[in-house]
Amino acid sequence: MHIPDGYLGPQTYAVLDVAIIPIWTVAAVKVKKTLKAKQVPLMALGAAFSFVIMMFNVPIAGGSTGHAVGATLIAILLGPWAACLSVSIALVTQALLFGDGGITAIGANCFNMAVIMPFVGYYIYRLVAGKAPGLGRRIAAAGVGSWVGMVAAATAAGIEFGIQPLIAHTASGQPLYAPYPLAVAIPAMMISHALVFGPLEAAITMGVVAVLGRQDSALLEMKPASKPMTWLWAGLGAAILLTPIGLLASGTAWGEWSAEQLKATLGFVPAGMEKLGGIWTAAMPDYAPTFIKNPYVGYVVAAVVGCAIIGGVAWGLGKLLSHGSDDGTAAPHTG
Amino acid sequence: MLPALAHIGEHSEHRRKSRRSLARRTADIINGAIAELFENEELARKPGLLQRLDPRVRLGTVLLLAVTVSFLHSIPAIVVVIVATAALAAASFVSPIAFSRRVWATAGFFAVMLSAPAITGWISPGPALLGHGAASITMPGVLVAARLILRVIAGAGIGLLVVWTTRWSDLLGALTALKMPDVIVATLAMTQQQIVSLMRTVENIHLARESRMLSAGTATDNREWVIDRMAFTASKSFKTADDVYDAMLARGFSGHWPTLRRLRMTWRDAAWAVGLLVFCALTLGLDRMIAR
Repeated sequence: MHIPDGYLGPQTYAVLDVAIIPIWTVAAVKVKKTLKAKQVPLMALGAAFSFVIMMFNVPIAGGSTGHAVGATLIAILLGPWAACLSVSIALVTQALLFGDGGITAIGANCFNMAVIMPFVGYYIYRLVAGKAPGLGRRIAAAGVGSWVGMVAAATAAGIEFGIQPLIAHTASGQPLYAPYPLAVAIPAMMISHALVFGPLEAAITMGVVAVLGRQDSALLEMKPASKPMTWLWAGLGAAILLTPIGLLASGTAWGEWSAEQLKATLGFVPAGMEKLGGIWTAAMPDYAPTFIKNPYVGYVVAAVVGCAIIGGVAWGLGKLLSHGSDDGTAAPHTG
Repeated sequence: MLPALAHIGEHSEHRRKSRRSLARRTADIINGAIAELFENEELARKPGLLQRLDPRVRLGTVLLLAVTVSFLHSIPAIVVVIVATAALAAASFVSPIAFSRRVWATAGFFAVMLSAPAITGWISPGPALLGHGAASITMPGVLVAARLILRVIAGAGIGLLVVWTTRWSDLLGALTALKMPDVIVATLAMTQQQIVSLMRTVENIHLARESRMLSAGTATDNREWVIDRMAFTASKSFKTADDVYDAMLARGFSGHWPTLRRLRMTWRDAAWAVGLLVFCALTLGLDRMIAR
């Protein structure tokens, strides 16, 4: 996932290089508040661990090997802000010491692997682990969190690649940087990471959390900055309020055509589609509940309902998993 | 560099014929990375063109070249930067074989693999050079792929220049002189030392397994072992952090970081900076002229 120089245009890498600076500043302040004077050796060791974990060959299917990034694992051990700094330092060191990852792309790489991956992974872990989990639930939460974190980071990289043909092209429309459109770049990154690297990352994170939980559970007890869930809820609320932006887009997403659109384009509706099309009727077709007339309000309501359903399923899954573990260990990172 | 015991298994006929074990492969990769680190330090000590420049100017050089190449749109202008990068590497005692192998064979190869579908009409529609339909190789596709491959090669070459010609201590000195907060520089300095230390530990862990294994083991066994060793490394890392902090306190650490050596610019650095600015301006001018 290390983006080299040359794939991203200045409009993208410059924005991400600048955007990462305030994130690092906030992370430094948060970490200083949480970890106090021990921060530097801990950051350095965290970064070194992050670096070294990428050097472990892990056997995967078919006799091949892969390696983990470990960002969610480090977030579980050190907290997400400290993980942000540790993984960033590891990535900068990789770029400047081994030439792994581009110099101009440092901001993009850090944004994907040191911000998105540990934060998404960590908060999903917290969401699934709940407040008083046993080790079994924590292990499952670590697996779900690291998988989602990995796929989220890969999706971000896919978006960064996929917007290149849109924002940087010649007069005749030829892409000047990464050549694949969003419709190709996002699935390519998402599918490979969801099916291969994500499960690998999840297996490793679960395994390490399990071993540490059994051998040295104190390592899972380090406290992050207070009120870590506030940001998640604030971000979720902001994202829900911004969902009507989707209404500004014209046309239909590729492959999501309705029967009417297909008929207008092709002149006929495929028989299989006509047969199966009416089997299921959505409760809120097109993200627009029928009882709400305003489409913007409808979008927000649909987003709230969707989040509630997903959150409920995750909560229920967490409750279910918590019954499987009864070691009574304290929750990590409660705050 | 490698413990003598690690080679015992290699002498058996069976071992020679079979593939290297996971433990041996990983140990070799880590050993290669450590060796590369020391080779880079050695190369950075040589009296080459870039090595003679002030580290701040060197850092500025690679940054300016990397940014310049990202603004270039025409293929001839990118080729000019590639040639200039190769010349700089040669003038800095970087082996042309090692440089081209790393830049062309590694970065270039991956860029070729990644851009292969882009040469087809599926991604880049236009006049076909070969074949027809979505699978045809098109003229715009070839241009898109060539531009991407050349830009990646230029970028990789520029990145390697800083890696191969700058000692880590000089880089940290340059960052200090550029007013980077002391805490960041200190963390980077400690990270580098801890990386080497942890890599040695991990290499030894793998070699120890290799010396105790009669067979390569199943994938599941190996995976469990790797995960167990990762947990050990995590545990060791965080315990070492405590020890390092205690050692810092014992040596009188009071929260202030010592400043690394002061750097001084000479006329050579000033001349280089002017020449570099002129080169970048001329390349961008050439690019715009061709694009018109």
